[in-house]
Amino acid sequence: MSGMFVEVAPPTLPVPIVAPAAVGDRGRTARRLARRLGRGVVPYLYLVPALGMLIVWTYRPLVETANYSFYSWNLSPTQPATPVGWDNYHRLFTLPELGGSVWRTLLMIIGLLPFTIVIPVVVGLLSREVRGRARSFYQALIFLPFLVAPVASAAVWQWLLSPRSGAVNRATGSSVNWFHERWPALIAITGITGWHVLGFAVVVVAAGLASINSDYAEAASVDGASRWQITRWLTLPLLSPTLVFLVLSTVLLFAPQWTFPLIDSLTQGGPVDATTNVYYLLWEYGIQSFDAGLASAAGVVFFIGFGLVAAVLLWISERVTIHDD
Amino acid sequence: MSRITVENVTRRYGDVRAVDGVSLDVAHGDFLVLLGPSGCGKSTLLRMIAGLVPPSDGRVLVDGRDVTETPARDRDLAMVFQSYALYPHLTVARNIGFPLRTRRQRRAEISARVAEVADILDLGKLLDRRPRELSGGQRQRVALGRALVRDPGAFLMDEPLSNLDAQLRTATRTEITELHHRLGRTFVYVTHDQVEAMTMATSVAVLNHGRLEQVGTPTEVYDTPASAFVAGFLGSPPMNLLDAEVVARDGRLHAVAAGVDVPLGLGDPGQQGEPGKQGEPGEQVRRPAVLGIRPEHLSLRPAASDGAAPEATLRGTVRTIENLGSEEIAHCRVGAAEVAVRARRPAGFTVGEAVVLTVRPEHTHLFDRESGRRLVWRPDRDAPIPAARVPVAT
Ligand SMILES: Nc1ncnc2c1ncn2[C@@H]1O[C@H](COP(=O)(O)OP(=O)(O)OP(=O)(O)O)[C@@H](O)[C@H]1O
Ligand SMILES: [Mg+2]
Repeated sequence: MSGMFVEVAPPTLPVPIVAPAAVGDRGRTARRLARRLGRGVVPYLYLVPALGMLIVWTYRPLVETANYSFYSWNLSPTQPATPVGWDNYHRLFTLPELGGSVWRTLLMIIGLLPFTIVIPVVVGLLSREVRGRARSFYQALIFLPFLVAPVASAAVWQWLLSPRSGAVNRATGSSVNWFHERWPALIAITGITGWHVLGFAVVVVAAGLASINSDYAEAASVDGASRWQITRWLTLPLLSPTLVFLVLSTVLLFAPQWTFPLIDSLTQGGPVDATTNVYYLLWEYGIQSFDAGLASAAGVVFFIGFGLVAAVLLWISERVTIHDD
Repeated sequence: MSRITVENVTRRYGDVRAVDGVSLDVAHGDFLVLLGPSGCGKSTLLRMIAGLVPPSDGRVLVDGRDVTETPARDRDLAMVFQSYALYPHLTVARNIGFPLRTRRQRRAEISARVAEVADILDLGKLLDRRPRELSGGQRQRVALGRALVRDPGAFLMDEPLSNLDAQLRTATRTEITELHHRLGRTFVYVTHDQVEAMTMATSVAVLNHGRLEQVGTPTEVYDTPASAFVAGFLGSPPMNLLDAEVVARDGRLHAVAAGVDVPLGLGDPGQQGEPGKQGEPGEQVRRPAVLGIRPEHLSLRPAASDGAAPEATLRGTVRTIENLGSEEIAHCRVGAAEVAVRARRPAGFTVGEAVVLTVRPEHTHLFDRESGRRLVWRPDRDAPIPAARVPVAT
């Protein structure tokens, strides 16, 4: 027999694709480069407005503050600022107020945690049983204090906590002079701030709970878990990112900053500094004592201090929280 | 071992009846597949069995015990979710061991049992990983492991394979079937994939709009669909359904429509009408119906013998041809209807060509036009032919 096997050729393109000829032309290369650069610049152009705002309103004052912390100046436009080196920082750390205010800020943080973590979680878990419209109404009720202006609530609480005619003292039969005794004043400021932010925290926790896939709880209940086991082993761990957010807010925002309008309108940091936290101290230095250098130094120190605290908290939360994906 | 009984169960969401009066009995060791299109209420029915959704009406029984009011955790059932619902913060080992942990078993016992299950499912190397570090197939096996770990009375599975690619799906299908054989437990398995239903089930329950259309073995459901819906849902392509009229001719029944004249192999030739009436067929008997023929039961008649066979059946034109490798599917237009024909390659179809298709009488199905239920022939000596063809609900 004559003949032979011939392999089937692999598929080829009938017409070879012509590679674009290498361009030697300089001008064209340069133009292409410019175009590529132009394209690279475009995304940054979009960022310019936001960055501009940040620079003008945040970073420039920050740099100026850092700058003033090395001068002595009484905020008067006619008086020149005189450079004093590290003198302001030295004074800041030798004055007794700084340590005390940090300590009181810490106490406020601890006092606020029940309002920002414990009660919202309990309320959030319980209100899951309430359905539909009743639930929205209930949440709105709790959220309401958050919408009251702090100064207005200060006025209301001042009246409620007034030593002789106040509703609180009459109901409890005590004769505490809330804003003029050391501990009661601290408790009152913390408590009123807590009352204020509670609604916010409850809404945040409710949103966190709603974002947990209900499949987990259902799977667990088929797996034999009781309601308490589901809460402890699944719901709370899965809620941890929300809780970390609330702890961060308490430490960085609620305790040092949101207490400010209440302190200012109710106790002015007193009695005898009992309610002076870091921000109020800062304000006292700058606005009341007209000591711009010292206030700036304190501002820089608190900025760095809170930055470090935030970094540590975030670092911990990265390790602790569970991200569902 | 568990026998699961569902009695007249209904679930309403507002005006929607997600499940509507379904009754089922799943015997010990059965593999029941709940099959149906998306939104037909399969998941809802399964979740009612699991105890995750309370029925609006009806009862659920496990081993004859009414568990309608029993919470999910006391029903001794295991469920695999479509999303797998693996606890994201727990390792594979803790995920699998979770059902034992809820039962307060000792740690050593739990890890021994987890190791055993991990061995069966080939998960030994993954025990310290978190779910997000697993592939889809591995997640699926972990979900299976969590169900297996405590030896439940029955396994409930809601589309457990739908997130896997085709190859893995075939492999896992076999694994689950093997598991069923080995464990001898009751399985209730939800899917909209008819291949899964045909290959895995010992019985199939077909649902449509919350209602049960048919329950039977895969063979029964495929070979004798109880309704036009079941016929049109199973098979790929599904059964051809043509509006036709049943007429008696020479005492024998034919399904007739434009381009269609199919002898049904029914009727009694002994009852033949008078010779004079032969020329006017169908004058006496007309009953509207739906004629069903599976694509693989149609065959092409060689064009040469066309004229020689007056009883030849479907005449149409080939419109498109799909090549499936071993077989091909020709889509033909017959009258106003589309008819698919499935045949081994090469079948000799040419696009645009006129074809004549034949079918054996025993491969024809009839359904009622209104209700869609299957029509069965009940021979009756005394009654005239049309009266005998009453719909019989099966
Ligand atoms: N919680 C609910 N609220 C309102 N309607 C619902 C709810 N759950 C299901 N339904 C409705 O009930 C019907 C059946 O839903 P079900 O989830 O049981 O369908 P399914 O057969 O599992 O579909 P799929 O294959 O898409 O999963 C659908 O029409 C759906 O919209
Ligand atoms: Mg479903």
